Amino acid sequence: MIRPEEIKMSSEETGKWGMVIDQDICTGCQACVAACAMENNVTFVGEVDSGYGRSMHWIRIERFWEGEYPEVKMTPNQPMLCQQCGHATCEPVCPAFATVHSQSEQLNLQVYNRCVGTRYCANNCPYQVRSFNWRDYERPEPLPNQFNPDVTVRRRGVMEKCTFCIQRIHKAQDKAKSEGREVVDGEFTTACAQACPASAITFGRIDNPESLVSQLGHRSHGVKHLEELGTLPNITYYKGG
Amino acid sequence: MSDKKAHSHEEHLREKHLMLDPLPRGKMNEMVMEAMMEPPTWKFWLIFGFLSIVVAYGLFYSWARLIMEGVGLAGVNRPIYWGIFLVNTVFWIGISHAGTFISAILRVFKAEFRRPFTRAAELMTTFGLVQAGFSIFMHLGRVWLAYWLMPYPNQRMLWPNLHSPLTWDLLAITTYLLSSTMYLFLPLIPDVAMARDRSTGWRKTFYKILALGFRGTEGEWAHLRNGMNIFAFAIIPVMFSVHTIVSWDFAAATRPGWNSTIFGPYFIVGALHSGMGAAIAVLAVIRGTMKHMKYFIRGEHFDAIGKLMLIISMAWAYFFFNDYMVQWYGGDKWTQLLLHFHEAGPMGWMWFGMLICNIAVPWAILWNQKWRSTPWLVATVGIIINVGMWFERYIIIPVSLSINRMPFTWRMYQPGIEIPLGIGTLAFFILLYMAASKLIPLIPVWEVQEGQMAHEFKKFGRETVVSVSELE
Amino acid sequence: MTESNIVDLLAVFSDLEPAANAIEHLRAIGVADDCMNVISGIPVTEAMLGRPAQWTNVPRIAFGGAILGFSAAYLLTFVAPYTYPYPIQVSTQAYVPGPPTAVVLFELTMLGMLLSTFLGVFLDSFFPNYRPMKYVPEVSDGKIAILVECPHMEEKKITDALKKMGAESVKPAEAQHL
Repeated sequence: MIRPEEIKMSSEETGKWGMVIDQDICTGCQACVAACAMENNVTFVGEVDSGYGRSMHWIRIERFWEGEYPEVKMTPNQPMLCQQCGHATCEPVCPAFATVHSQSEQLNLQVYNRCVGTRYCANNCPYQVRSFNWRDYERPEPLPNQFNPDVTVRRRGVMEKCTFCIQRIHKAQDKAKSEGREVVDGEFTTACAQACPASAITFGRIDNPESLVSQLGHRSHGVKHLEELGTLPNITYYKGG
Repeated sequence: MSDKKAHSHEEHLREKHLMLDPLPRGKMNEMVMEAMMEPPTWKFWLIFGFLSIVVAYGLFYSWARLIMEGVGLAGVNRPIYWGIFLVNTVFWIGISHAGTFISAILRVFKAEFRRPFTRAAELMTTFGLVQAGFSIFMHLGRVWLAYWLMPYPNQRMLWPNLHSPLTWDLLAITTYLLSSTMYLFLPLIPDVAMARDRSTGWRKTFYKILALGFRGTEGEWAHLRNGMNIFAFAIIPVMFSVHTIVSWDFAAATRPGWNSTIFGPYFIVGALHSGMGAAIAVLAVIRGTMKHMKYFIRGEHFDAIGKLMLIISMAWAYFFFNDYMVQWYGGDKWTQLLLHFHEAGPMGWMWFGMLICNIAVPWAILWNQKWRSTPWLVATVGIIINVGMWFERYIIIPVSLSINRMPFTWRMYQPGIEIPLGIGTLAFFILLYMAASKLIPLIPVWEVQEGQMAHEFKKFGRETVVSVSELE
Repeated sequence: MTESNIVDLLAVFSDLEPAANAIEHLRAIGVADDCMNVISGIPVTEAMLGRPAQWTNVPRIAFGGAILGFSAAYLLTFVAPYTYPYPIQVSTQAYVPGPPTAVVLFELTMLGMLLSTFLGVFLDSFFPNYRPMKYVPEVSDGKIAILVECPHMEEKKITDALKKMGAESVKPAEAQHL
């Protein structure tokens, strides 16, 4: 018999890779959006589809304003990307096991070649950060020349999303392994964090208390988005610090 | 004097009830055969040709384009990842529920009025499920890989994800489609044997193959009776599970407005609501257009189904209110916003339209026995209910998906290629039904005869009453 | 007694009552129940005709199918998740999740049962069967036919008996294509 005090809350589990995003210093310059698209071969949907809500960026800068015109006040920019939830709602609903949990990296994986396009995962993502390949979009010359060879190119009918640049994680791990050492904090980072001119995005190991991302995470005013749903997101946001 | 009065009372009952107005079996066979073999009129061919064009363009050509160019042709976007394809899937599965309800539940409870139209309702189930299957496959981004959702042995031992409500859905719909088709076929065997005995040419060959060599020996009847009995009982929980699982596609998701524990029974009642409405519309068309059908399908049948429709409409209203009340009381910020969006948003007209079509219209008309015995009137109510139930699914899927916990993504939905494809499924349903009405006996003659044998007049004191014997 | 010694007589009755009487009478004059068969256009039960109950395997076959369906579901739910090179984790759910497993077990059990019920009707009735058979088409007009198997020398006696009991026609049955 289990007594109530013995029940372990799943929210006590920690992830492996995490991110801290400081909204106070984010300038909304969209450099992360561009860098992510180049790193991950994200396709360009054009303005018509983009205007209809079919943009496919893996990271987006959300901007809101408060109050009625003309008394509007801008709120801080909010970069929104896959939160790599520890308890992800997108994973169990896929009928084909196309989105699964990586037990070694504690990330949400998207298996492009297994996806049949039911789009259930995207419906069930409370952060609405999954992008669907609505069509085979054209890439005018010379854009095909800048494909990242480490990342699969996706075709129509497939779901995709932020991977925390897992190709960079693996590259760093392989390099460290060949040199017979552990991956050092700050040795590599994601494309968005690398491109951010204001250093608003910090990426690293949250299970290592010495890492920069963990140190930043100790500040008291960090919030996790929609934490009340129990999704255990691995991204901490700072606002109004 | 009193004798004459009793006699006219008997006459009156006879006129009203098919079961009290027996004809020799041979005569009924002849009527059903004539209704089926009557050469199609030019009107039939006109409608048939028109529907074929609609199916060719709306269903096949549009679907081919959708597959070749991608789901971008439809109106789905972020955050409305599911659109009219899923609305139509739920809608057609809903329609298919009436067949099983009428033929299985009414058979189990020995409701005698079911006898002449069980087959007409079962046909609706099978043909409706075909459309539901089409609709759900249209929805897939890579439909050519749909077989990955089926558990089939493969080299990499990769199985479908049994955690996903969509996998349960696929298993349940497959089970339901197969079992409802078999349940349609079993009681059909004696009737195609009848058709085989009185037809010539290609029809003879066709019915001979379908009848499987059925003669009606004691053994054959015993096996058939046993089989049908098992089906009638076992298909009821399957039917309930199918629509419950359809509702879990929504209820199991982490979304405001969807995550409701009452969705299971709410969807079942909704399915019966639209299914009964569709069944009565189909019956009215059969009665109005086919020869001799005025003998088999009478006001009493519309009256009986009309009563069921009224009860189901009340049950639907109860579940709707229950769902609404608890969501409203919960006070969750996003749910409150969503409920407000339903009523006062740009699709508010649809929300109120749903309540009018599903509650106001049926209640206003079906309470009156005379009105609900009028075929064209109840059939109209049935069609209005179906419009209302389509609205209900539209509100649950694309309208509710507009609102989520990330206000930055809120957006409206504009249907694209879903419209020709949706019309295509409707046309295909009617087309299949029209073809079936010319190919298989729509009235289960042996069941009607069995019922007529079981009914008789009996005197209780001075009153002549109807008594039914249990033959099984 | 060789094959050629046996004749099949087909007697057509217009109603249930005379048919039941005829069966009773045949039994009285020494025709075994096994040598009679009744062909009818509606499900006349054996009890109505005073005939021994028919043996049917359909419920047993259905039960067997349910067990097969359940086993398939068991393999899919409890065994398949462990056949991967490594177990696939979704969210924090167990490899064999409780409630979804119940759903799959239920659906596949029902599918197995209903498929085999259908199959059982086919097996028990020897469907499909397109060989020539002894039959009169009047049966589907509501007549009841009695098929009697008797030795050649008793043909006349039984024909007379059947006629006396109200048979509309009695004739030697010939197998024909239906």
